[in-house]
Amino acid sequence: MTLHIVSKSPFSTQALSDCLESFADGDALLLIEDGVYALQHKALQDLQNTEIFCLAADSEARGLLPSAISCSVEAIDDARWVHLCTEHNPIVSWFR
Amino acid sequence: MKQRTLALCRAAPYGSALAREGLEAVLASAAMEQEIDLLFLGDGVFQLLDHQSPMAIGQKSLRRNLMALPMFGIEQLYVARGSLAQRGLTPEEIQIPGAEITLVDQPGNLIAAYQCVLSF
Amino acid sequence: MKFSLAVYAAPHSSQSAASALRFARALLAEGHEIYRIFFYCDGVQNANSIAAPPQDETDLTGQWQALQREHSLDLVVCIAAAQRRGVLNQREAERLEKPSANLAEGFELAGLGQLTDAVANSERLVTFGGTQ
Repeated sequence: MTLHIVSKSPFSTQALSDCLESFADGDALLLIEDGVYALQHKALQDLQNTEIFCLAADSEARGLLPSAISCSVEAIDDARWVHLCTEHNPIVSWFR
Repeated sequence: MKQRTLALCRAAPYGSALAREGLEAVLASAAMEQEIDLLFLGDGVFQLLDHQSPMAIGQKSLRRNLMALPMFGIEQLYVARGSLAQRGLTPEEIQIPGAEITLVDQPGNLIAAYQCVLSF
Repeated sequence: MKFSLAVYAAPHSSQSAASALRFARALLAEGHEIYRIFFYCDGVQNANSIAAPPQDETDLTGQWQALQREHSLDLVVCIAAAQRRGVLNQREAERLEKPSANLAEGFELAGLGQLTDAVANSERLVTFGGTQ
């Protein structure tokens, strides 16, 4: 299963929407850098039965409070990021 | 079995260097006889438009790099059907001589078949 | 597991190069192997030794160098992308008749074939894109 890593805000780029159009069953989504602003975007609410993660350091840096992180999104540390990359293949970066 | 590499091309030409540098990486890979496929998605489909003439903006045409793909054994190009439709383009407008265009409805299923995806 | 990273982002322009460094550190801390880190596009600026960020900002080039020394990392900078953007080693500076060389110690200039080789020899490849 593919791990999709989105690093740009869905309010300014196509990164998240292109990613979601390229989602297959069982794929996982990781939000990093400005990608964590997707926590404020309704696109995530439409994602059912999908594993969604965000890097805790990146969301905390931006003042996104844990309350903004819905129960369907798991905030993870860097070690877990590495682990996600070992569990999934290929890894696709959406950075624009 | 997953083996090959997919280049995911999402950058429009000329406005940034990414489309060109992405194709250069693809051609280098093909020159080393590594199997690599291309998927054009999002603004990347604009790379395939015919009649590009960037001389007046001081750039080399990307068409030359694209036309080189078949010479390096890359004869099939994948293009996301939805990206074309969103941009008002038809398949007839994106021909590359010597290459067959395959329209993809579910990019996620294509991506999942590869061992490695290089994003450009 | 054997990883390679492709870094397209310059330091000080976006967070992405710093993310790549963070990820590289986490990989090593978790006991994984880094086969190669390939710097491409604007990422070649990570190897620019004459960048001089203020003292209270992260010196990414210095941090890559420190990680390279500690773990004998293979830090490869695409030679074509580097020439375009003005990152040269001594040999290239002389050959191209440029006033100085600026490739930071610990980084090597090489062709795009090294990216292909990294793909072929790694179990995972993670791309860190730039601002473009």
